[in-house]
Amino acid sequence: MTMKMVTLRIDEHTVEVPAGTRVVDAAKKVGVDIPVFCYHPKLESVGMCRMCLVEIGRPVVDRASGKVVLEADGSPKIQMAPKLETACTTPVSDGMLVVTTSEKVAAARREVVEFILTSHPLDCPICDKGGECPLQNLTMAYGSGTSRFIFDEKMRSAKHVPLGELIYLDRERCIQCGRCVRFQHEVVDDPVLDFYQRGRALEIITRSEPGFDSVFSGNTTDICPVGALTTADFRFGARPWEMKPAASICAQCPVGCNIVYDVRREAKSSGKPVIKRVMPRQNESVNEVWICDKGRFVHHYNESAERLTQPLMRVDGELTPVSWQQALETAAAKLKEAGKGLVTLAGGRLSNEDLFNLRELTRAQGGTTLLHTHMGGGEWTRQLGLNQGSNLGSLGNGDAIVVIASDLHQEAPLWWLRVKQAAQRGATLIVLNARPTRLDAYAAHALRYQPGEAAQAVAGLMGNHKTPAAFQTAREALAGAANLVVFFGSDGLGLTGTRALAQTCADLLMQSGHYGRPNNGLVGVWQHSNDQGAWEMGYAPAADLVGSLKKAKVALLAAADPVGDEPALAKALAGADFVIVQEMFLTASAEKADLVLPVAAIPEREGSLTSGERRAQRFYPAVPAPDGVRPDYTIAAQLGQRLGLELEGRAAGLVFLRLAQSEPAFAGLSYQALSTAEEQWPIVGRRDLYFGGTTYDNNQGMGTHLQPVLKAGERPAAVAAALDTELMDAGDNLLVLPHTRLFDQGSLVRFSRLLVERVATAELRLNPATAKHFGLAEGVAASLNLNGADASVIVRMDDALPPGAAWLPRRVGVPLWAPAAAQVKVMERD
Amino acid sequence: MNELQKRYPEDVAAILKKYPPEFRRSAIMPLLYLAQRQDGHVSGRSVTDIAELTGLSTTDVTSVVGFYTLFHAEAGGRYRIQVCTDLPCALRGADDFLALLQKELGISVGETTPDGMFTIEEVKCLAACHRAPMFQVQGDGDITYHEHQTVESAMQVLKGLRQQAQKSGKEAA
Repeated sequence: MTMKMVTLRIDEHTVEVPAGTRVVDAAKKVGVDIPVFCYHPKLESVGMCRMCLVEIGRPVVDRASGKVVLEADGSPKIQMAPKLETACTTPVSDGMLVVTTSEKVAAARREVVEFILTSHPLDCPICDKGGECPLQNLTMAYGSGTSRFIFDEKMRSAKHVPLGELIYLDRERCIQCGRCVRFQHEVVDDPVLDFYQRGRALEIITRSEPGFDSVFSGNTTDICPVGALTTADFRFGARPWEMKPAASICAQCPVGCNIVYDVRREAKSSGKPVIKRVMPRQNESVNEVWICDKGRFVHHYNESAERLTQPLMRVDGELTPVSWQQALETAAAKLKEAGKGLVTLAGGRLSNEDLFNLRELTRAQGGTTLLHTHMGGGEWTRQLGLNQGSNLGSLGNGDAIVVIASDLHQEAPLWWLRVKQAAQRGATLIVLNARPTRLDAYAAHALRYQPGEAAQAVAGLMGNHKTPAAFQTAREALAGAANLVVFFGSDGLGLTGTRALAQTCADLLMQSGHYGRPNNGLVGVWQHSNDQGAWEMGYAPAADLVGSLKKAKVALLAAADPVGDEPALAKALAGADFVIVQEMFLTASAEKADLVLPVAAIPEREGSLTSGERRAQRFYPAVPAPDGVRPDYTIAAQLGQRLGLELEGRAAGLVFLRLAQSEPAFAGLSYQALSTAEEQWPIVGRRDLYFGGTTYDNNQGMGTHLQPVLKAGERPAAVAAALDTELMDAGDNLLVLPHTRLFDQGSLVRFSRLLVERVATAELRLNPATAKHFGLAEGVAASLNLNGADASVIVRMDDALPPGAAWLPRRVGVPLWAPAAAQVKVMERD
Repeated sequence: MNELQKRYPEDVAAILKKYPPEFRRSAIMPLLYLAQRQDGHVSGRSVTDIAELTGLSTTDVTSVVGFYTLFHAEAGGRYRIQVCTDLPCALRGADDFLALLQKELGISVGETTPDGMFTIEEVKCLAACHRAPMFQVQGDGDITYHEHQTVESAMQVLKGLRQQAQKSGKEAA
């Protein structure tokens, strides 16, 4: 499909762009900055602010002959339009002449700025936006310097309006461009901001409960061209010019959004650099110019006073501070002693380098490496995952996406956004889940299955299992797809269920040949940022973790807290001779450990993460690590050194080189490759913050996909035999299904006190019919006996849920990782 | 439970029937008009009900209430005296007219007379610039225009409205 190209002149430039391009974008491409306020390249243009007025001329066409009239010198005769036109709404046309430098245009800009400023308080000295403010910059560049307006008639409005607890609105500063309103409506479909009243009384309102109820709300502060919208987190926190940006990767979910930590030194922290805010960094293949609120606001953990900063060893039953030397020597001796009895349980928040060194260390002793996760199937995402050239942003008409057993909106908000947009561009979206989710609204086929029957549903999609007629229609829609990406998650499923599901999804992709080429393959909606990286290096969850831990002589837990997760795991671990924990905080597991080694947080060190799309991306040090902590890969290397094992521990980049030599999936990759950046569209950052908002330009690298493990047409090494099914019927008990919420009670979220109102609590949601059957009513407190422990929950009715089961979030203080049968009883009121 | 639907089941059904399901948001204007039939304003409860009926957010419904001067989010008098003060009207003395009217009624713009009869409002163009000063009266489910006005003639109109209200009050009793 070739795009029709159009050639036009903009000032002294000649430019060729696809038909349909707006004049403002065409100008941007040749470096002509047309000032804008209401226009944003990711939003529909509305032409509201009038700042982009330019002179436009078009070739004169002779009506009789239909030919372009020529001047004496043979050039086409250009007829200038009698009035200025808005460059943000006018599409380019062949032979067009755009003039942006004339006195007429300059006068228009001067007057528009003057008009906008009639209602603006000009309180730049106390405004958070000052220094990176489009209005400030464009006033300096194009404003007249004086105003003919009567000062006393300036609008006075409320200056500290909380739109919910995360975002504040200053009504005086608002210039009514509507970028925030359009972002919430068009981009993320949370229509919780809108205009109220009109004329000079116009204001932005929200009426949602809680206020400004959207997990993408922080992005409106980036695209706001004035200081009207600010985050409660950063408000009055620092001036933009005082901060230094450090490129990083968000580690809150497997999407791997590119971010920037803005850092400055503060008296408050004795002159130490601290993180002041998290901003998106453009990567059009990953997060475009957006991030979710979890990624933006969960950054306070690293400065917590609860951080561990020295090794602790159990002496006479008490955890006692010891030197690193003593700690490492004790640990090395124990690892040697353990030999094959070493079990290393690693969490998916470790970097590629940490995981690699830990694996080498464990393998050298003959020990076992395990991934601590409730979700299986990585052996399939490793073989059939996405590879170079893949970009969800390029999926559209003729392509298909299947999302099964996942509430992407809560588990990986940016994937939800990108899948939604692909569907809006014409991709066929098929959503399968036991319960309704927010993605259903964009799906061509939203299909339901019985709780636990996710794998069967995919089999049904292939025609291998008896399913309702709707599946047949969906199967037909899938048949002709040029590209197919399958996302599978763990909504209502545990380890066994997800493993079976992944395998069935793999069958689907292999049967239809959708793998081994760009934009085709399987994506796991993991819980952690680097679960995919762990799978790539051969880490896998134990089928029976209790049994594995029971057998361990020495357990090495890195970024994993089995004791806090489940009583049965705590019991199993109690049998180990020696437990070593590498952690940032004194977790429940650390409290029980024999040796605790304090580690550096992501913003304090270098490393790389592999996203769920198999994209390896680097993060850089933003703030210095507290004295006494070390990165996990260094600890592993230092332990190796004491065991006669030569591991790289000097720099993350050197570890990565070893990883690249050892693992075929990483072959040929290096930190240099990961840190290359390409020119992206839209152009953001740089000196024109008014065009794309305050999102950072990407100069520090966009990452690279891992090498394909299976090429198109190749068959996988082995396919496992029939798989166990998960609990689907709880008999007389209540079947409780786990699901993941964005703001859970995970160990890092709790340090961002701002989010406390959004954090999920132990609420048991179920259909009223099911509730009635178990004698439960709305709002009652109930006791669940589940996985050997008692937990109290609040009952919530939900008509939308299918009867026969109840849903409870993971990580809300109740040990629930897989479907479980629970005895439920209403608690007596006091 | 959707109270609006409960109170006016037939009207709601008739309004919704006019629009295909995918254009249900178009029903927002007639539904708002229906919602303020009884109390002269759209209550927060009605906003929630209409949001539910049309599939819009409560924020979007509120936004429509705010945009149109014929919808009211706050309770007011039985009759709303809406004076246009846009530029052409102002050139023909609408500002002075409004100031005198306020003085005469003893209330400011946005306020209601103690007897609950009249609220004065300042509104945007009513498309009668050439006959300014002018105002419209919204009340008793009706809208009427009054053009070429002086304060004296306006007070006559209000007197008529008071009588009308008393009459209908007696009839009801």
